[in-house]
Amino acid sequence: MSVSATTSETETMTEPVRKSSSKSVWLITPGVIWMLLFLVAPMLMMVYVSFWTQTTFAITPDLTTKSWVTFFTSETYLNSLWTTIRIWLIVLAATLVVGYPAALFVGLFVKNRTIQTALLVLCVIPFWTSFLIRVLAWRPMLGKEGAINLILMKLHIIQQPIEVLLFSELSVIIGMTQIYCVFMVGPIAFMMGRVDQSIIEAAQDLGAGFWRIFRTIILPLTMPGVVVGAIFVSVMVLGEFATAAALSGRKVNLLGNIIVTQVGSLKWAFAAVVGVVLTIVMGVVVAGLLRVVDLKKEL
Amino acid sequence: MQAGGIKLTLGVYIALFLTFLYAPLMVLAILSFQIGPEGGPQFPIIEWSTYWYQHLFGLTPPSRIAPLPIKEALFRSLTLAVMTMIVSTVLGVSSAQAFRKRFKGQNFVFYLIVLGMMVPGVLVGLGMALVSNELSVARHWWGTAFVLHVVYTFPFAFLVMLAIFNRFDQSVEEAAWSLGVSPAKTFRKVTFPLIFPGVLSAMLFAFTLSYDEFSRTLFASGRDLTLPLAIYGTFSVEVHPNVFAFGVLTTLFSFALLSVYAILMTLSMRRAKRIAIQEDA
Repeated sequence: MSVSATTSETETMTEPVRKSSSKSVWLITPGVIWMLLFLVAPMLMMVYVSFWTQTTFAITPDLTTKSWVTFFTSETYLNSLWTTIRIWLIVLAATLVVGYPAALFVGLFVKNRTIQTALLVLCVIPFWTSFLIRVLAWRPMLGKEGAINLILMKLHIIQQPIEVLLFSELSVIIGMTQIYCVFMVGPIAFMMGRVDQSIIEAAQDLGAGFWRIFRTIILPLTMPGVVVGAIFVSVMVLGEFATAAALSGRKVNLLGNIIVTQVGSLKWAFAAVVGVVLTIVMGVVVAGLLRVVDLKKEL
Repeated sequence: MQAGGIKLTLGVYIALFLTFLYAPLMVLAILSFQIGPEGGPQFPIIEWSTYWYQHLFGLTPPSRIAPLPIKEALFRSLTLAVMTMIVSTVLGVSSAQAFRKRFKGQNFVFYLIVLGMMVPGVLVGLGMALVSNELSVARHWWGTAFVLHVVYTFPFAFLVMLAIFNRFDQSVEEAAWSLGVSPAKTFRKVTFPLIFPGVLSAMLFAFTLSYDEFSRTLFASGRDLTLPLAIYGTFSVEVHPNVFAFGVLTTLFSFALLSVYAILMTLSMRRAKRIAIQEDA
C-alpha cells in the first residue's frame, strides 16, 4: 500500500513538467491548510508547552527547562525510554523474522494468481478489524488458564501453567508482533512480486543453490520492502501504549503510557516533554532506516 | 527453484503464520459463548449460551457486571466515521487531482500530507489537547477528535487517488474538452466514473480507520466516549465475556463492510469492462 504510493510519487515526479495553474492551487489549498492547522500546529504547540512551567494543577507559559531536567534525571522516565527502545527493537526483529518467510512464500513460491491473492487477503484482513479487540484477544490465549497453557498441559508438555505468558514483557511483544507483522509482510511481498523470475532462473541454470540465490538476489532486491515495512512497524510500535496497557498488567511502561498517565494527572508540560522525546526518537529511527536504502532510487 | 523441500517447509510455515494471525480471534469468539453471568473469560466453557450477547443489548436481568455503554458510543462512532469519510475523500480526491500537474512545493506538500498517517496518534492527540486548552476550545468527538481523524485518514485517501490518477488516460478527458464539454461536466461524466473504484477504496479506508481509531480520540474527544474508547475503558478493569461478544459483533461488522466494498468493486469493474468492449466494437 505504502510502497505503491511512493512509487506513484516518483512516477509523478518524472512526468514532463506541465505549467502550474491557479486551478491546482485551489485544489490543494484546503488539504494543506487542514494539515498545517491540525497536524503541524499541534506538534509545534507540544514542543512549546514542553518548556512551560508545571505547577501542581496547571501550567503557566513561563519558559523553563525544568520539565526537561526532570525527565533526564528521573529514573522512571529514563527506564521507560530504554524499555520503549528495547521493545521496539525486539518487535522489529520479530516482525521481520515472522513476516519475511510468509512474504517469501506468498510472493515468490505461489505461482497460482488466485491462491496468491487469497493468501494476501487473508494476511491483510485482520488489519480491517478492531485493533483493540485484537489486542484484547490475547488475554484468553496467554492467561494462566488460557488456551496455550491449556493445550500444552493437555499434551503433557508442561505440568504447571506458564505464568510468564501474560502480564509480562513477553505478552506485549507477542501481541505487538502479531498486530504489526502485517505491515512487514505487505511491502516485502510487493517487492517479491517485482523480482524478475528470469534472473532467478539464470542463477539456477548456472548452478546456484537456493541459499545462494536468496542471499545474492532475493534479499537485496527485496530490501526496499523491508525498509518500508520497518518504517511502518517502527513508527507504530514507538507510538504504542494500548498493547502495553492491555497485556502487561502495568509492568511495561512505554513512553506512550507515560504520556497517558501524565495527561491523566494534568501534568501537561511533562507529557509534552515525553512527546517531544518520542518524536525525536522516531525521527532518528526513520532517518536511519531511509539511509539504509535510497527508496526513491530503488522503487 | 531447487526446492521442493523449501517450498513444503514454507507452505507449512504459512499455515502456522495464519494460525498465529487468527487463533486469538477464534478463541475470543468461542469464549464469547460462555454462560453468564457467573462464567468467566476463560476455558473451560461451562455451558454454551448467548447470555453475553443479550447482556450487550440490555436483555438480561441486571447483574453485578455493568453493561458496556455501547448504544450512544455506536451512534457517535458511526457519525464520526461518516463525517471523516466524506471530508477526507473530498480532500484526497482534490489533492490528488492537483498533483496531476506539477506545481511549486509539490514535494513538500506530499510529505506534509503523508506525515498525517505517520505521526502517532498519542502525539497529535496530545498536541491537539494542548492547543484546545490554550484557545479554551472545548474538546468534543465531533470537533477536535474529528479534525484529527481526517488528518489520519486523508493521507490514505490521497495516496489511493494518486495511484489511480497515475494510471489514468488523460486523452479521454481531453476528448471531452475538445468537444466543448465544460470541465465540471467532464469531471462528472468522464473523470468520476473512471476513478470511482479509487474513490470507493478511499472511502473504505477512511471509514474503517476512523471507526477503529482511538489513540487520537483518547485525548481529543472530551467526556463522551466513542466505541473504541469504551473498549479501552475495560482494559483497566476485569474483562468479562461481554467485551468478547462485542468483539465478535464488531468484527462481523467489519467483514460486512468489506463484503459490500468487494461487491461494489466487482460491479464497477464489470461496468468498466462492458464499456471497454463497446468501445472496441
